[in-house]
Amino acid sequence: MAMYLDRRNFLGLAGLGVAAAALAACGGPSTGGSAASTAPSDIDFTSVKPAGSFDFWTSHPGQSQAVEQSIIDKFQAKFPDIKVNLVTAGANYEEIAQKFQTSQAAKSALPGLVVLSDVWWFRYYTNGNIIPLDGLIKQLDIKIDDFQKSLVADYKYANKQWALPYGRSTPLFYYNKDHFKAAGLPDRAPKTWQEFAEWAPKLQASSGAKYSYMYPALAGYAGWTLQNNLWGWGGGWSNGWDITADSAESVTALQWVQDTIYKDKWAGVSSKNAADDFSAGIASTTISSTGDLLGVLKSAKFNVGVGFLPGGPKAQSNVCPTGGAGLGIPSGVSKEVQLAAATFLKFMTEPENTAAFSAATGYMPTRVSADMTAVLAKTPQIKTAMDQLAVTKVQDNARVFLPGADQEMAKAAAKIMTQQGDVKATMTDLKATLEGIYTKDVKPKLKS
Amino acid sequence: MTRQLTGSPAVTAQAVPAPRRRGRWSGRTRRDFFVFLALALPNLALIAVFTYLPLINNMYYSTLDWTLGSASATVVGFDNYIAFFTSSDAPQVLGTTAIFTVVTVGGSMALGLLVALALNAKVRGTTFARSAVFAPYVLSGVGVGLVWLFIFDPGYGVLSWLLRGIGQQSPQWINDPQLSLVMVIIVYVWKNLGYCAVVYLAGLQSLPKDVMEAASLDGANGFRRFMSISVPLLGPTTFFLLITTMISSLQAFDLIRIMTPLGNGTSTLIYEAYLQAFGAYNRAGYSASISVVLFAILLIITVLQLRFVERKVHYS
Repeated sequence: MAMYLDRRNFLGLAGLGVAAAALAACGGPSTGGSAASTAPSDIDFTSVKPAGSFDFWTSHPGQSQAVEQSIIDKFQAKFPDIKVNLVTAGANYEEIAQKFQTSQAAKSALPGLVVLSDVWWFRYYTNGNIIPLDGLIKQLDIKIDDFQKSLVADYKYANKQWALPYGRSTPLFYYNKDHFKAAGLPDRAPKTWQEFAEWAPKLQASSGAKYSYMYPALAGYAGWTLQNNLWGWGGGWSNGWDITADSAESVTALQWVQDTIYKDKWAGVSSKNAADDFSAGIASTTISSTGDLLGVLKSAKFNVGVGFLPGGPKAQSNVCPTGGAGLGIPSGVSKEVQLAAATFLKFMTEPENTAAFSAATGYMPTRVSADMTAVLAKTPQIKTAMDQLAVTKVQDNARVFLPGADQEMAKAAAKIMTQQGDVKATMTDLKATLEGIYTKDVKPKLKS
Repeated sequence: MTRQLTGSPAVTAQAVPAPRRRGRWSGRTRRDFFVFLALALPNLALIAVFTYLPLINNMYYSTLDWTLGSASATVVGFDNYIAFFTSSDAPQVLGTTAIFTVVTVGGSMALGLLVALALNAKVRGTTFARSAVFAPYVLSGVGVGLVWLFIFDPGYGVLSWLLRGIGQQSPQWINDPQLSLVMVIIVYVWKNLGYCAVVYLAGLQSLPKDVMEAASLDGANGFRRFMSISVPLLGPTTFFLLITTMISSLQAFDLIRIMTPLGNGTSTLIYEAYLQAFGAYNRAGYSASISVVLFAILLIITVLQLRFVERKVHYS
């Protein structure tokens, strides 16, 4: 088939092209202005009346749909003029983030309140997608001093509070008490990984489980839980904005991790969910979120013990990162909706409601004054997670503030832990990648 | 005798039909055109709004440094394309795309043809077998991915259980990037070979029986008849399948998303575009440039196939 492009056709096509380009330029982002954060500053809500309804976007962390709905029902009884629409906006933090950011791009259908995870909120801040809550905290008299300090501090940046803690978790060390007993081990979590390395062969010999320890699945968890090993050996993904993934300490830590899999052969890497592997008896121990606690207790057919995360040769305490999700208010909705959402946010995080949420999910209570007596009587293991909170450490900037860093960390971990890749070379490559992300995607957006 | 024509020049002019003025339609032509517009315009409008407008928008976004969710962006021209082609990820992504496409297209077509030959035999149960072979094609990719993940799970999957039965350890199908690609390819071929089988079966059943009988009388055995008669006459079917399966392989998404969310080792062009924009990085402009690269590849493949491959196809 031959095509002829005469002058008339050419001009027609050129005209179409110009029209198409003009049409395309009508949509999408504006192409003027600075790349620096456009996060809104304090907003005055003094003369604003709350909206009659708003959407609450959640992924129901810890299978919390029922308890979320029951809290909403209580709220409706107290505030009949504000209707809260509970929206399942994704199955996990990534899916809800995807929906939220797509709505930002479409500039429509935004919620009044949204669940935001530890690795996503900072992006919303740099993109100007969420508002600072300081004015609302003051106006609605939200008792910020009664929140767990470390959990509130996670959402503080540039002297502003960008979210409040909601489904907050830490990793916990889970162990099979029956396996420990059969191996003649004490009924507790190991104090250090070196201690566990001595226990592991005994466990493997006596338990019948395939592995003494199961590393969490790499997708989504490697960057989070491996901080425990990195910090225990004196390393980390980063120190401030300085990427330290290739430091001698970090490399030694991950070399030890690799050796437990390939040399000592007592550890495995979960393919999907370490908590499920542990519950199925494939491994005698694992590290998983406190949010998995109730699920593990329900599905495991053995006695489950939980303990603090083990330390390493350089640090025996403060080797546990915090994690989980908070609640934030989008900037792209009306002040009325923002005020209504904040009213519900205050109610949602009140002591009795955070206790109810904790009881239903295993997540930690975010309020100091939350009465956990009944919850702990039913699930005493939650106490371990609450006690561990005192020795948690704020996550490395590289993991929580760099877009895509968690993904890159998981890929590096996969190379080391499933392909026996060279640890030093892998971490050097990772450092270069993370520095590239920081320089291109984050640094230009930070206020000097 | 010569009869002289008389009359006014005007009469003479009426005798010669006047040329039709351009742009002036007869009533019938105009009516036909409005009928055409009434029928075609809604579809053309839908195609323009949901296909061409996003395509044009995407090309525009590919020239921006734009973080998804951000209200502002910077025009960077072709920087996103340069960044992609000079990145360390590009060879891996393009290589994965090539391997995935070649193996899934080749595998689906070759196995589809073999299955079609088996289903073409006149034995009992072929109707059930045809349905069984075609069923995976119409199943949801998400459901198929989830079920196969349980099969491949090295901890408690069916495959792992079978391997343990013969004293073997299960490979790390999900965590090992190379094995992840193999795993996804196996499932993709399993899901799609039914489509190839059914199309090939239709092709086999339309082959001229007299040619086959003549070849048999001339002493050609089954293999010879297949290679010298069936395969050439199946040319149009093969060509059709080649185009459709290649385009769908290059656009494969659901299985990769469900089985390997991290995309480690399985990041084809389309999945990389997804990961870059929506996965974690939020680089909407960069992602758009990868989509344009994929579009260009699809366009080139289709044009090349139409221009060169189709000429070598033997139509009966």
